[in-house]
Amino acid sequence: MDLDSDVQMEDAIEQQDVSETVAITNPTEEDEDEDDAGMSNSLSVKQTITSTIVGDDDSDEKGVISRKPIEQVPISTTNPKTQIDTLDAWIEQLSQCKPLSEDSVKELCDMAIDVLKDEENVQPVNVPVTICGDIHGQFHDLMELFKIGGPCPDTNYLFMGDYVDRGYYSVETVSYLVAMKVRYPKRITILRGNHESRQITQVYGFYDECFRKYGSANVWKMFTDLFDYFPITALVDNSIFCLHGGLSPMIETIDQVRELNRFQEVPHEGPMCDLLWSDPDDRGGWGISPRGAGFTFGQDISEQFNHTNGLSLTARAHQLVMEGYSWSHPDLVVTIFSAPNYCYRCGNQAAIMEVDENHNRDFLQYDPSIRPGEPTVTRKTPDYFL
Amino acid sequence: MPTAGTSVVAAAVTSLDTTSANNTASNGQVEELYPIALLMDELRHDDVAARVQAMKRLDTISIALGAERTRKELVPFLEDVIPEDEDEVIAIAAEELGKFVPLVGGSEFAPILIPVLEKIAACEEPIVREKAIDSLNSVATSLSDEQIQQEFIPLLQRLAKERWFSLHIAATGLFKSVIVRVPSDMRSELLKMYFDLIQDDSPMVRKAAATELPEIVDLLGERFNKPETVGEFHWDIVTSMYENLVNDNQDSVKFLAVDVLIAILAFLKRLGDKSHHEELFESLLALINDPSWRVRYMVADRFDKLAQNFDDDGYTLKLVPNLLSLMKDNEAEVRKAVSKQLPGFCTLANKADRSIMLEDIVPVISQLSMDESETVRSALASEITGLAPIFGKEATIKHLLPIFVEMLKDEFSEVRLNIISKLQVVNEVIGIQLLSESLLPAITSLSNDKLWRVRLAIIEQIPLLAEQLGVAFFDEALGQLCMEWLWDPVYSIREAAVLNLQKLTKFFGEDWCKEELIKRIMEKKQTKDFDNFICRITCLLALDKLIPVVSAKTVSEDIYPFVNDLKDDQVPNIRFNVAKSLASIAEKLYPEYSSIVTDKIRPTLERLQEDDDVDVRFYTEQSLERLSKLLTNSQE
Repeated sequence: MDLDSDVQMEDAIEQQDVSETVAITNPTEEDEDEDDAGMSNSLSVKQTITSTIVGDDDSDEKGVISRKPIEQVPISTTNPKTQIDTLDAWIEQLSQCKPLSEDSVKELCDMAIDVLKDEENVQPVNVPVTICGDIHGQFHDLMELFKIGGPCPDTNYLFMGDYVDRGYYSVETVSYLVAMKVRYPKRITILRGNHESRQITQVYGFYDECFRKYGSANVWKMFTDLFDYFPITALVDNSIFCLHGGLSPMIETIDQVRELNRFQEVPHEGPMCDLLWSDPDDRGGWGISPRGAGFTFGQDISEQFNHTNGLSLTARAHQLVMEGYSWSHPDLVVTIFSAPNYCYRCGNQAAIMEVDENHNRDFLQYDPSIRPGEPTVTRKTPDYFL
Repeated sequence: MPTAGTSVVAAAVTSLDTTSANNTASNGQVEELYPIALLMDELRHDDVAARVQAMKRLDTISIALGAERTRKELVPFLEDVIPEDEDEVIAIAAEELGKFVPLVGGSEFAPILIPVLEKIAACEEPIVREKAIDSLNSVATSLSDEQIQQEFIPLLQRLAKERWFSLHIAATGLFKSVIVRVPSDMRSELLKMYFDLIQDDSPMVRKAAATELPEIVDLLGERFNKPETVGEFHWDIVTSMYENLVNDNQDSVKFLAVDVLIAILAFLKRLGDKSHHEELFESLLALINDPSWRVRYMVADRFDKLAQNFDDDGYTLKLVPNLLSLMKDNEAEVRKAVSKQLPGFCTLANKADRSIMLEDIVPVISQLSMDESETVRSALASEITGLAPIFGKEATIKHLLPIFVEMLKDEFSEVRLNIISKLQVVNEVIGIQLLSESLLPAITSLSNDKLWRVRLAIIEQIPLLAEQLGVAFFDEALGQLCMEWLWDPVYSIREAAVLNLQKLTKFFGEDWCKEELIKRIMEKKQTKDFDNFICRITCLLALDKLIPVVSAKTVSEDIYPFVNDLKDDQVPNIRFNVAKSLASIAEKLYPEYSSIVTDKIRPTLERLQEDDDVDVRFYTEQSLERLSKLLTNSQE
């Protein structure tokens, strides 16, 4: 990989901080620029230390900093019974927002590769299913999502990528979803988003978070290696095409997606990149994306694609929408975004889409979770005691 | 990192070598100690994060070196390098050194830690300074009184006399460790020194001194409250310090006087001395009427505590007009803070004079419940129900209920939620009958609130209402609602609704359950809704939860057939929940209806064992295990 290449651009909100080049050879180098929008840089070492020192009440945050984690559950992968017990124990631990030990993550990723390597580029999914968009490390809001949509495995889920970066709990979020995937492979589908990539995670927080919580980049490496196995699209009952970004000028039929080699880092261009990076647009035809990767595509393109492939709908995530979901091209393309109050500051609602066995669709919107110990009042009392 | 560390690092490594040479047999120990060499290296690492990690393990290094070398080498080494390092590394060092007394060989050698911590305490970064002060205070606890006088007091004097604000701030934090441990003459000298800090040129120092003062007053008050020792409290100096704070020209210093006043009042309360109340009350009035809202906020926020420490009905009544003026303050934060104080203060006011509540306070509360700021209304809503026990039944009905009803209609959901979630205490005062009659309309309208947490809060109140209302009234008013929640779009509401039905069945009994619940769920089966997977799984879960609370007969006649019909459902999620449910049904029916278990349930499960779906097979397997356990146990 070209070490000097620029990192591709992100949503509008992210654009201001991507102009610089990332030195991939030395990712620990502290980023001096004040990151206005993102959470990644503001969580750099200095701030971390400060919050330990202050004796921050948020015990999560504090516990995470010391390199204490995290008890190891013994496992024998040969015996399916113990494997299930182990997974259940991990899921239980993760559901309390406590990260797994490094060794457990290793085992989890190995198991996940076994499951994911056999999934298809266009993973078939049955109805009923609940389709969800970006999570971005907002672990508590992911738990809120399950409160709204119902617990897995009773409810089937399809997540369309971007589990990591931005939020404070990328490690817990992605560990939880991967553990659920391994435990209930038929009940939950996890697609790859543009943030499930080595390059992007070094800029937007996942790398730093792994380093902070585990004291080394090993866990980051395990997960980013695993991301290469994630399926890139899903097809719900031959009717709803689901993916993270959007369409590609090099893809006319779903069969062409099936022929891609997806087991690689997200490339800078080409069909696989486009599927994870493109956005629908009001203008017709193909357009140059302001993100610097992928394309914009108009209603005419969506009409053609849905028609060619006999689809009723294309569902995608990738863009912040204030209501949590938004019809881009009426009845053709819907955007679903499942991180409420994105980056803890955008003030947006989140949504998920329930598709029942008769293909009725229902959008459920929700607000950020109420975090234990935090005041329910949105406006904070001024801090007199500084 | 400076290179001064090299020798110590080398020393640590050599000492490791000797250890391993002496214990050639025990490889385990070598492995155990090996990381220490690495840690010492990391203390000199270029990367700040690595040095932080290493510093966190300072105690391990010290243990490896032993007490003597820690004193002679590690502590001086730290003293040299630390002040040059980054703040985050220093902070960790400061914290670790606080635990070092045993590591340098016990309290005898504890003073050796003072110079290095003193250097850190001089740091301008508040976080680092505070860590150093904490550690110095913890070192002080292990010092003997003699050591305090010889080592610690000079430190205090150095810090307080130096002409640099940061050192003065550090000094303010250390008095509390020594103030009651020194002889009388030294104490008055220390307090005079503190008085200087209270009057320091720098507002930051005055602020720090004012922040620490209440604790010092408390310590003095705890120790010297007997007639023969009360002189040691140094009343004159303490009150002069308080007077100075009240008259400070910075509001960020002035508002800290409130806590000092509370500490002084607490001391007087202990003595039973009310002779100074008059002048103290005058100074409090000045604070309440201060032009700066931050000062008024501070009074509002501690109103109840102030009244309690005056500990006098006369003064409580004198405070009432001030309470009212704070409730009408033009700054919302002040009104919000004083709202939170209402239950506490009103308890006192009510004790002093019953009539004052109704005549003076209630009209203002009523005004506050319509405050323009939603955060004020929300704060009031979370406290106002606490007034019911103080008011008593009649007054609550007459004066408070109308306010509750109005607040339940508030456009801001949090206000509604705060009222609902604290209705329990109102119920205890006026009884559920009255409560429900006046509040039912509001509750019913909230049952469809667009915020699901409001709906959830309502559901959680239902069992309580049901228990008190009795069947007839409940069915009429709330029966329908309880069923409707089952079809809510939000899972958590459906889940709560299911549990709610189980609780209601416990109160109202099986006949009611069959008539009102099971029958209605059966009816659902005939509707189009039943085509939806969520509807089917909700019915299934609802019936499953009823199994433990109804008789085996009802299970066999009503619940089992319904569950059994879903065994071939096209959705695997339904099928594995059927498998789970069948085991619970079998456990309920056996042995009374053993033929259903062995002739129907077992074959069904055995067939589900062959299902295409892996999860159906998994849960079926579990259910079959439960079944075989059931059958073998009963044979024994």
